Amino acid sequence: MKENVKEFIIDYIQREYTIPGDIDILTLNFVEEGYVDSLGLIQFVYTLEDEFNISFSENELKSPDIKIVGNLIRLVEAKMEA
Amino acid sequence: MRSRLASLFYENAQALPDKEAIWCDGQSVTYREMANLVSRYSNLLLSLGAAYGDHIAIPMNNSIESAALFFSAADLGVCVVPLNPSLPLEAIRAAMTAGDVKHVIARKAFFSECDKSGGLDIPGFAICLDQDYPNTFPFSKLSEMPAQRPELDYDITGSESLILTMTSGSTGTPKPIDISQDNKYDRCAAHIRVYRLTRQDRIIAATPLYHTLAERLVILPLILGASSVLLPRFTPAIWLKCVAEQKPTFTIAVSAQLAQILELLKKPDAPSITSFRTIVSSSALLEASVKYELIELLQCEFHEMYGASEVSTVTDICFQEARDKQNSVGKPFDEAKIKILRDESESDFDTECAPGEIGEIAVRTKLLCKGYYRQEAMMKAAMFHDYFRTGDLGYMDQDGYLYFSGRKKELIITGAVNVYPHDIDTVIARLPEVEECAAFSYPDDRLGEVVALAIVPKEDHEINLRALRTYCARNLADFQQPHKIFLVDRLPRNTMGKLQRTAILSYLREAGLDG
Repeated sequence: MKENVKEFIIDYIQREYTIPGDIDILTLNFVEEGYVDSLGLIQFVYTLEDEFNISFSENELKSPDIKIVGNLIRLVEAKMEA
Repeated sequence: MRSRLASLFYENAQALPDKEAIWCDGQSVTYREMANLVSRYSNLLLSLGAAYGDHIAIPMNNSIESAALFFSAADLGVCVVPLNPSLPLEAIRAAMTAGDVKHVIARKAFFSECDKSGGLDIPGFAICLDQDYPNTFPFSKLSEMPAQRPELDYDITGSESLILTMTSGSTGTPKPIDISQDNKYDRCAAHIRVYRLTRQDRIIAATPLYHTLAERLVILPLILGASSVLLPRFTPAIWLKCVAEQKPTFTIAVSAQLAQILELLKKPDAPSITSFRTIVSSSALLEASVKYELIELLQCEFHEMYGASEVSTVTDICFQEARDKQNSVGKPFDEAKIKILRDESESDFDTECAPGEIGEIAVRTKLLCKGYYRQEAMMKAAMFHDYFRTGDLGYMDQDGYLYFSGRKKELIITGAVNVYPHDIDTVIARLPEVEECAAFSYPDDRLGEVVALAIVPKEDHEINLRALRTYCARNLADFQQPHKIFLVDRLPRNTMGKLQRTAILSYLREAGLDG
């Protein structure tokens, strides 16, 4: 299931553009780098809630951490285990 | 007879083989390499069975390959239907039906999403751009194709549709704006003349290629023999870094982008940008303070333009040259004439407003699109004789300068993207707990406007906001997502019962609901 979360998130971020191989995906800020724009972020978050049956708190949504691929993966995984 | 657009490009490739044709996302391609790419793309399409007049849909990203596709399409006389990749599948399917699409070029994510919901029903071929995917041809086959421009046994007259640009109609039906090869050429030629563009120019496109603006900014330099700088994705930081490195000399940017860029430019560690000769702001009026600060920081000619996808650019103003007309969007291009129509006047007489009087901006222009594809009635309804009704309100002054006053159409423009509120209403109204609803424009510092939604719940029903947002994420495109949701007990209507969409915000504020 964990692989599933990572794959789902990385696939989603690359829907429009492939992330170049020399970039460390886990530390990538996918909003600052334009892979998901600020309008798309809302949609992304609710898609994740729907896909993995989790919910994010308002504070989590406001935190800049949620825009870092690795942090987002860890957050979703932790919610699934909780 | 071959395509004029494609031939101009190939002539430049022959004359300037080693010159940079296009840069995108760290990759630079010379004219020779670009010509080879275009030819290979054409040969790939032909080998898969593309025929004259076929329509090819592509959920399009900004890439060198996307730019090449426009020239292959022109050369073969086929039509590209660029789609916003963030649209929900239902909207993409509707757009493909409206655009009479035969073939599809897309990324794996698109095909995979289609397969999860009933597959993709198209009569022609499918090409997968990024990976192998069942029942699609891999784009990687391109490298095996000959790099020679294919011979054709038919003529290209220029009247062929080159691009169908999808906008959503107010009824939710996609409205494909049909732009012919000649339209595209004439539009490029007009911009080359007005902005005195030459082969020395480096022209940056920073909006998505499924919009007419970026299409123009990529096709134009390649038929001129100049260089194109194509921003893969827009964030102010990516734009600034790209501009500092690639040193573009000209751009047409959307005003929401310029406002964001200015914020970054004012920071002490911002790079100094000195390469621009001219910047044109489009889409919505730029605040005067933003305009003056940009002029100060970028030290270049600063223009503002007014136009629409159906009519291309209509007016232009250079602020350094027309200091006493600072609130105007300028004078018409030579190709265009403007009439300001008095509201609700359908007669042939006395329909034009006097100078200073606000009415609907209507445009007669040689740059008018072919029409709305297979929706002649819709195009006819948009015309007043040979003038296209823009749905915008404005007035002319005594000197022939146009002033923009607002919109007649119910439209939300968020970061330069047009959002038709009715499309959102239709999706939300399907929910059983919703009595009625209305999407409306909400002011936003960064994007100009964002989408807000007012909902009247059904009696004895509760709206679960989280479930509602999930529903929106699934069924609406990213630019349609409501940023604010208000639950109300009624919507403002006039005495005839017609929804007063533009009055919703003041209604909410008076009721103390917008805190």
